[in-house]
Amino acid sequence: MFFIKELTHTILLHPSYFGPRMLNFLETKLYSDVEGTCSGSFGYIIAVVSILDIGKGMVLSGSGQAEFITRYRAIVFKPFKGEVVDGVVNNVNKMGFFADVGPLTVFVSHQLIHPDMKFDPTSNPPSFASDEQIIEKNTRVRLKIVGTRVDATEIFAIGTIKEDHLGVID
Amino acid sequence: MSDFDNDFAAEGDDSMMEEAGGSYEATPGHPPKGRRADYDDEEEEEEEEEEEEEEEEVSGRGRKRAKHRHKRSFANEFLDIEAEVTDEEEEDEEDDDFGGPDGFIEAPQEGDEDDLQHRSRNALLDRKRDQDFDDGDLERIAEDLSKRYSNNRAIRYSGDMNDIPQRLLMPSVNDANLWQVRVKPGKERDIVLSLLRKSIDLEYTANPLNILSAFQRDSLPGMIYVEARSAQQVNKACTGLVGVYPSRGIHLVPIEEMASLLQIKKQDLTVTPGSWVRIKRGKYQGDLAQVMDITENGEDVGLKFIPRIDLNPRDENSLDGRKRKKPGIVGAPNMRPPQRFFNYEEVIKVYTRKAVAKRNQVYVFQNETYKDGFLEKDFKLSALSLDDVNPTLDEITRFTRGQDGTENESNVDLSIIAEASRKAAIAVLQPGDHVEVFEGEQAGMHGVVEEVSQDVVTISAVGVDIDGQRIDLPARSVRKRFKPGDHVKVMTGKNADETGLVVSVTENVVTFLSDLSLQEVSVFSKDLREAAEVGSGTNIVGDYELHDLVQLDQQTVGVIFKTERDSFRVVDQNGQVRLVQPHQISMRRDSGRSFAIDSQGHELRINDNVKEVDGEGRKGRVLHIHQSQFAFLHNREINENGGVFVARCRSLASVAPKGNLIKPGTDLSKMNPAMAMPAGGMVGSGSMGRGPRDRSIGSLVVVVKGIYKGYAGTIKGTNGSAARVELQTGNKIITIEKEKLKRRNPDGSLVDLDERRPPQNGFGGGGGGGGGGGGGGYGRMAPPSSTSRTPNPYASGGGRTPGWGASSGRTPNPYASSEGKTPAWNASSRTPNPYADGGKTPAWNASSRTPNPHAQDGGRTPAWNANSGRTPNPYTSASGSGSTHGSSGVWDTGGWGSNGGASPVRTNWDSGDWGSTPMGAPTPATAPTPGPGHGYGGSAPTPAAGYSGATPMSAPTPFAYNAMTNLTSAPTPAPSGMHDDVELGEDWLLEIPDQYQTRVNVKVKGTTMGERFYEGSLEDLEGIVTQVMRSSDLTQTASVHFKSRPSGIPSIVNIPIKYLTPIHPTRVSEHVYCFDGPQKGKVVVVRAAPENTTAVVSSVDLIGGFFEIDTDMLVVLTPVDDP
Repeated sequence: MFFIKELTHTILLHPSYFGPRMLNFLETKLYSDVEGTCSGSFGYIIAVVSILDIGKGMVLSGSGQAEFITRYRAIVFKPFKGEVVDGVVNNVNKMGFFADVGPLTVFVSHQLIHPDMKFDPTSNPPSFASDEQIIEKNTRVRLKIVGTRVDATEIFAIGTIKEDHLGVID
Repeated sequence: MSDFDNDFAAEGDDSMMEEAGGSYEATPGHPPKGRRADYDDEEEEEEEEEEEEEEEEVSGRGRKRAKHRHKRSFANEFLDIEAEVTDEEEEDEEDDDFGGPDGFIEAPQEGDEDDLQHRSRNALLDRKRDQDFDDGDLERIAEDLSKRYSNNRAIRYSGDMNDIPQRLLMPSVNDANLWQVRVKPGKERDIVLSLLRKSIDLEYTANPLNILSAFQRDSLPGMIYVEARSAQQVNKACTGLVGVYPSRGIHLVPIEEMASLLQIKKQDLTVTPGSWVRIKRGKYQGDLAQVMDITENGEDVGLKFIPRIDLNPRDENSLDGRKRKKPGIVGAPNMRPPQRFFNYEEVIKVYTRKAVAKRNQVYVFQNETYKDGFLEKDFKLSALSLDDVNPTLDEITRFTRGQDGTENESNVDLSIIAEASRKAAIAVLQPGDHVEVFEGEQAGMHGVVEEVSQDVVTISAVGVDIDGQRIDLPARSVRKRFKPGDHVKVMTGKNADETGLVVSVTENVVTFLSDLSLQEVSVFSKDLREAAEVGSGTNIVGDYELHDLVQLDQQTVGVIFKTERDSFRVVDQNGQVRLVQPHQISMRRDSGRSFAIDSQGHELRINDNVKEVDGEGRKGRVLHIHQSQFAFLHNREINENGGVFVARCRSLASVAPKGNLIKPGTDLSKMNPAMAMPAGGMVGSGSMGRGPRDRSIGSLVVVVKGIYKGYAGTIKGTNGSAARVELQTGNKIITIEKEKLKRRNPDGSLVDLDERRPPQNGFGGGGGGGGGGGGGGYGRMAPPSSTSRTPNPYASGGGRTPGWGASSGRTPNPYASSEGKTPAWNASSRTPNPYADGGKTPAWNASSRTPNPHAQDGGRTPAWNANSGRTPNPYTSASGSGSTHGSSGVWDTGGWGSNGGASPVRTNWDSGDWGSTPMGAPTPATAPTPGPGHGYGGSAPTPAAGYSGATPMSAPTPFAYNAMTNLTSAPTPAPSGMHDDVELGEDWLLEIPDQYQTRVNVKVKGTTMGERFYEGSLEDLEGIVTQVMRSSDLTQTASVHFKSRPSGIPSIVNIPIKYLTPIHPTRVSEHVYCFDGPQKGKVVVVRAAPENTTAVVSSVDLIGGFFEIDTDMLVVLTPVDDP
């Protein structure tokens, strides 16, 4: 699920950048630092929407670097158990397939795939196929997240397509 | 006749019961001849008695009493009548009759003759009574009798034994006793059988065995039990039987234990066809087997298991198919062939076609039957272990897979394993577990375990209408419940510590996707727990972690891609996969700063995302770079080797991740020339970041523990807590824990590895070196005082203390070889060294080994301890200032470091002038001879006496003395001069433990001279210490409360403690603190009036005896309750 969230980020700026273009640096740095990262508690930070406050730089004694505590608003993506999401199949193997849901990788085990769909090892690329449907790389699927594992810097989820209205999206 | 039947019925029951229990009872089926002859009579007697009883109500009781007794002692021997009688009243009466001590207690002790006489007398009486009754109405009697017995019979044969109260069946004092007889272990059963035969044999002779039964229990080896009236009868029965040891005593079994001896614990046979067992012994020890059938007697079990056929037989015999002569020797246990399904072709290849016969679908080979590749064989039940079989999934799959190796998973009957392991499952339930009920009334319900008590779990149900109800359930009918998506951790088994997300649950098998390997793993739900944490800890074994770069040998490094229970799977730089144990890893490599050049000439660093430009074009993140040549990459999407693979750096290209484009603009530290500069300097200096080399590398060590104990070697490298040691013998490098090593100093002493190394440069290096030596010496002295187990330098003789070593850096082992004639000594003091005595004599050894004062006080008092521990000690300053006192100080530091053996020196030192007169030391003590030592001793007979009679040691050496005075820094200018007050130094007060300090009675002395503290007005005042102020650099002071004082003096005065002297006890029952002697450091009570400066003291509670002690060594304490 996507949220807009206010977050803070601390930037240390080397003294050599103290100058007219400093704010530019800070913004670029903020974007490059936080966008695309994942924190366990908030999920993936997709994009910075706006910078609320670039912060007052505080020069640290000793190093001469300035510390900016930046407040910004960002779109975050956090998967929840039970959430239905769309994704793109990334990798198919005997055990199931991996689908990318934006930055999140979801694994769908073959146990959670409808039994009609069988793994076809001979096909190229490898696929799960039933009479009507086929799941292979780059197929778009709709799946339901049944469990997440949240690390400090990564979220991993497993999903199922063994329910109504889930599976390949045409 | 009915009696007869009764009797048999009863006996039959008994014997059945006993045989069922696996014990064997030889019941002499029939009573001996004599009695049998009496049967008819008896019957009559019985009748008569019954008859009588009815009349008894009317007539006096005395007679009945007599008859009862007689009936008991006679008939009861083989008739179990009482048990059957339901007449309440008679029961009571019998209790009355036989509860008393008369008559039958002696009966067992009576010999056979007596017994016979007794019986014949009874018979006579009976006959007489019979005659009496002839006169009565026989018809009526007969009628009554038949009525009664028909009643009895009805009860008797109802078959419902439950109607008879259990207690009536229990043996009582009236019954024959049970005797325990020792026999040869293993022969019990045979002996019981012998007894049976003997009994039958002698049954109709003149001397029948007078035993009633005999039995043995399998659970009680080496003894049989015989039921008889007397020990003598047992003895008689046992004579002549081999293996019976009546001489070892025939013990009477207490009545209350008799029943339990015959109690049978019902064993339910857990072996059912299809269940799993393990073989206990032999070639197949520990192998899993499946039960096929069970013989009726339940002793033999037909098993099916995977054979271990030796396909490389060594001896010819087995080739011939003949039975091996000594399988135990030929088939040495370590040569156990692997489990392999029977394969006809393979076997005949080795053993020739003749050896294998084929019948139907069955092969017979070496007298054993093989079917479908399995060996089918009968085993004794005792050779199998039925409990804790815990077949693993692997084994079961192997079993079901069959010989052809085709996997047919459908065959895996998991329910069988589940059943077997269900017992174990109970043990793993814990409060908080989510469980579901899968059998019984509540099947299908689920809930959370609230509590577990033995086999009962209380769960609080989860569900719509029963939510929150607490329900008690048998633990075996619940199992842990997991849902897809749960994050679980494996608690036991091969996959222990693996974590993952559950993808499916079928019955009690849970399949989850491992967090680390992204493989699916199936485990029993009993082995799982819900895991809060993620995979952490799961990938660390020992010091190594998943994805660590480790050095396997000189040429090989590898990356751990899978951690197992106690091993790793490692892919090395050649792409080979190895299974290694932690100990096979010599070290972990840190490649954090290494980098390489990729195919485009760009820099390649750790954590870069790269792609192979040739080959498979795999992508991955760089985990490690080895020798700028190999890169270990990781890609979760590759299943092989946990996603870890090796590539040549030259064949990699950066995939230019998004961040890379911006990076040049934003990585400020990189852009900044000032900050970037050091990077260049790092090239080729990979080792710079690794921190200092382990100091212990290269040191000579001795292994002090383990199988290598006693070996000496050199440390070649270290890795965490392990060190690689090249042994001096055998030219071998072993890896061993550092804690098992001690460093061997050049002088042969052993010290802990992590202690400071002795300075390599002796004092030849100048004052600085000397100072260092002192410091070193001091530094090392601490451990001995704190732990008694370290190789105490003193224990090995003063000559080898580090201090000495340091001070004599040039002479490897001065004292061992030259007894103090080292240049240092000679040069400095020219004495024939007091230290030779001190250092080398048994003195030190003794002190460190004997129950000496030091040991007793746990390191509180001994000079050096005290110093190092509590006081602003001279050592500190010694080491600190070693450089300042320069060349002349060298010797000093040696002295200090060593232990302050040279007290005089210290004295000087403390008094502040050591700088100028370090030691060249005209110091009286060091002086020319050890003599002064005796001089001091003069105060007490010798220091030894004053010290402790127990330690032979301290005696004539100055050491003893030092030990006492070291804190003092001798208020007296020349210790040798005065010996009266010398014993206690200026700081004596500090030596007293805190809890006593405020009770110490002191007297002010010495204020009239010198600085004239308080103008001397306090001189000779007596007071009690109220507080002691400690400071490291200021004068030590104490607050003293004066009870009686001249006016103008405050009641509490702060006085430098050098002006305080202890008040010695003068009266009986004063509490005193001992500075010395066996009670050193304790508070004792004066028990005899001190005279001639000696007081007799003992501990407060009078434990430990009395001691005579110099009053100078005592200071009076105010009793606790006396403010």
